[in-house]
Amino acid sequence: MRLFTTIIMLFSVPSYGDFSDNLRVSLDGSARLNVNSATSNTSRIYALGLDTHKVFSSVNGDIGYMVGQLYLTKLSNQTPFSSLFDSPDDKQFIIREAHLNYTAGPKWLPNVRVGHFTLPFGLEASIDTNGRLLDYYHGKNLGTKLDWGLGLNKVLTNVEYEISYTLGGKNEPKTIDSSYVFSGRIGSLSHYDFIIGFSFLDAKIDNIQRKRLAIDWQYYWQTWGFLGEIAFGKDDKFQNKWQEERYSLLELNKTSINEQLKFYGQYIVTDRESDKKSQQLINIGISYQIDAKLELSLSSRKQLDTPESANKQNLVRFQLRYRY
Amino acid sequence: MKIFIIVILFVFSLQNSYADAYCSLRDPVAQIQQLYPQKTNQLSIVKTVDSSTRNLVKLALPSNDLHFSELGQHTLYVAMKNTEALGYVHVRSEQSKWGLVEIIWALDKNLKIKNFTFQRCRSPKKKLIDNESFKNVFIGKNYEELKSLLSSDGITANNILLDKAKDSPELASVVLRCALKTLLITDILWGEELKKFNPK
Repeated sequence: MRLFTTIIMLFSVPSYGDFSDNLRVSLDGSARLNVNSATSNTSRIYALGLDTHKVFSSVNGDIGYMVGQLYLTKLSNQTPFSSLFDSPDDKQFIIREAHLNYTAGPKWLPNVRVGHFTLPFGLEASIDTNGRLLDYYHGKNLGTKLDWGLGLNKVLTNVEYEISYTLGGKNEPKTIDSSYVFSGRIGSLSHYDFIIGFSFLDAKIDNIQRKRLAIDWQYYWQTWGFLGEIAFGKDDKFQNKWQEERYSLLELNKTSINEQLKFYGQYIVTDRESDKKSQQLINIGISYQIDAKLELSLSSRKQLDTPESANKQNLVRFQLRYRY
Repeated sequence: MKIFIIVILFVFSLQNSYADAYCSLRDPVAQIQQLYPQKTNQLSIVKTVDSSTRNLVKLALPSNDLHFSELGQHTLYVAMKNTEALGYVHVRSEQSKWGLVEIIWALDKNLKIKNFTFQRCRSPKKKLIDNESFKNVFIGKNYEELKSLLSSDGITANNILLDKAKDSPELASVVLRCALKTLLITDILWGEELKKFNPK
């Protein structure tokens, strides 16, 4: 954290104008209701935070930018709860994204990112899901969605790439039990109607070793989108006992022409060597952006197969989000 | 906790809003390079499009409005070759029946259209961007000159432009409305600050 603060100060020194120039700050609040029929549990998650974006510049142009997102998050009867919390009713300050991206190097050199950022892997690398019900399950598949570390990235004429080495401490800027994450993605430019990307991951988080290769794509036709991610790999949860894992996600989405209303349906299949049969999930969601500030969203997740030792997942979530 | 509350109160005193989280913001680096191949860097200048800007647009272009995603803070890029400003780049969206069309506009230092390209266009007629005679109608023109291409309804393009657009009249009108709003908003919000790059 000290290193991060020092780097922000160093960025600020040659900046042209004062700190408020090219600074975006929004207050971001949300209330989420979760109704889990499988466990007969109703829970709530409240989050209130600051979302900031600052471009640092000199007379020659931009030097880089900073993203900082700090949220006070309160759980209410949330079971199971994330490892970031201590109890089902805990509250904590959570850092989502907090990174600097240095962009002023020569054309042939990559940009350098340092801080807490989303792992460059799969669909999540080009579609932001922070604070939304929409999810591409980075946390579940890779062990974490965000991590502290260093990354190299660049947008070239026809492709863009990002490669990172992070510490595997998730919300903590440190290595825990020799944890690390080495991941990367190369793909076609993210503003095209057809985007394809290839990703890799080699990681040790929470004493679980993971290796993954993935292909992801996005195809947009008028107001329809067809997205997918297929990942192959193996996990070692019990020291030198690798077990294969396959994961695929298909999404069909539709937005209204004014982009206020969005509907999506996801079909997810996870195949683990340790399980006798594959797990199949369906997610259906709808979001309505009333104006630039207020968004309502609703999603439902259902498990299609019958698990051996638990109830079928059956979760309905509702979220009200306000950005000021 | 106290500092957090003070910062929150400070944010309430601002009038910012942007529907998506800021981590999703991406600079159109590849497109700026395409429009200004000789540039060495870009300089960002962020300004707020608020309800007063929206009202000025409605006044100058009756029958037109800004999409809600066009409110909030937006970036104008100055394409730089070392310390020299080559021109400006501004991305704006216009609603169409195929969703939002996002167009990247390259402007010269006199706020005339230098070039443009689609950042996102999901119209089946998007090949219109390769039609040189259509593009040439825009290139070199300022706000007033382009406004003369609007028909009397204030929404659709007149026959001078539609003749060049052949079978894509709706998209041609979308591009024209986007050009007019881009030039108007650039002048209203960034005009004063951009004078330092064009001292003549």
